[in-house]
Amino acid sequence: MQYEIKYKPAFSTLVVSLAPGDSITAEAGAMASMDGGLTMKTHFFGGFFSALLKSWFGGESLFANTFVNKSNKTQTVVLTQSSIGDMEALELRGRTFGFESGCYIAHTGNVKIGVAWAGFQSWFSGEGLFKLQASGNGTVFFGGYGGITKRRVTGEFVVDTGHLLAYESNLKLNLGMAGSLMGSITSGEGLVMRLKGNGEIYMQSRSIDGLVNFLKSKL
Amino acid sequence: MEIQLLQQPDSAIAKVLLERDEEIVAEAGSMVAMSSHIGANTTLKQGKGGGLLGGLKRMLGGESLFLSVYRALSKPGEVYLAPDFMGDIVVYPMAGQELVVQSGSYLASAPSVHIDLGFLGFKQALLSGESLFWLTISGYGELLLSSFGAIYAVEVDGEYIVDTGHIVAFERSLTFDTGKPPGSNWLSAFLGGEGFICRFKGRGTVYCQTHNPGAFGQLVGSKLPPR
Repeated sequence: MQYEIKYKPAFSTLVVSLAPGDSITAEAGAMASMDGGLTMKTHFFGGFFSALLKSWFGGESLFANTFVNKSNKTQTVVLTQSSIGDMEALELRGRTFGFESGCYIAHTGNVKIGVAWAGFQSWFSGEGLFKLQASGNGTVFFGGYGGITKRRVTGEFVVDTGHLLAYESNLKLNLGMAGSLMGSITSGEGLVMRLKGNGEIYMQSRSIDGLVNFLKSKL
Repeated sequence: MEIQLLQQPDSAIAKVLLERDEEIVAEAGSMVAMSSHIGANTTLKQGKGGGLLGGLKRMLGGESLFLSVYRALSKPGEVYLAPDFMGDIVVYPMAGQELVVQSGSYLASAPSVHIDLGFLGFKQALLSGESLFWLTISGYGELLLSSFGAIYAVEVDGEYIVDTGHIVAFERSLTFDTGKPPGSNWLSAFLGGEGFICRFKGRGTVYCQTHNPGAFGQLVGSKLPPR
């Protein structure tokens, strides 16, 4: 399998070439176009119960599609996200990552898609009770609204709840306020995620909630 | 007429240079700026699908009832045209062939380009999940199309599948039908969010947009309070 992320950063789109026998699994609705020789199979996203939890309490799709090349020549599929913005290819290399709702696009290789309890604090921040978790060896493609910035956290770090996309699961997440109660309200920062430990995180430079709040005031 | 595309690909705008007494037809509301001596008019007429009926049909196709006509009166002038969405513009030279354009992707055209409302058949319209009508473009001259996201052209030779929300335009030399992706049944296609696809066969070009306006609208719209 070969891939290229084209039209970065504003309209990032994943173009995947599948050799005979190759396959890629993608979020429901992610396919923009594909060669006629590919076969599409729909299944529960990461197993029945995991899919139900993610869908009901995590804001993910209940189903996912796997595109398989059963022909004898290379076939191409174009995958995209609902939001405009950047896309990232994350090599797991044995690590486990958690993904905020809606940012997962596709995965390939020996990746296990599961569900992780995110806690009530995550629910309060509008991010859902359960989160998508990916582990194993392979590549996970995810995207965001705006650009994507990668950072290694050592010790403690603070990220606005609407801007966190993905994090290594050995980081401990705690919902908190950016400053004092008064300071948090007046600064407009509200709730933030406090991350503790060692691991990589990915942040998006814009948030859909920010856009929604702006539009709400204009309706 | 000379067309320059600026600010590609994310915020494309077309700068159209008109010769003396030359005209360009554009989607209503797409004019950003123009020389002061350019005459602006609206028309219901454009090609076979002209007149009030043609205008009403265009409205059904997701376009406005009226088209704007900009004319360089007595000396050359310029008009800037841009679509509503973030995205790209492509210039397609019409030379007598037919092009089917997704309503909403039409931006502007030379006066000798005919815009007609094509009805793709009941089954196709019903199953496409998009608006019932597409524009059938014929005639001669420049045609400007716009997209949500980037535009990529696929030279089809054999069989190619496109999600209906990602189609900008396709050449009529292609045959097509709507249906479900290979390997899926109707139930799984709907559950998998890929229920509406177009299968192109033969030889010709399909222009696709990297992003689906409907999906983005759903993403943002679902979080907005009801009006």
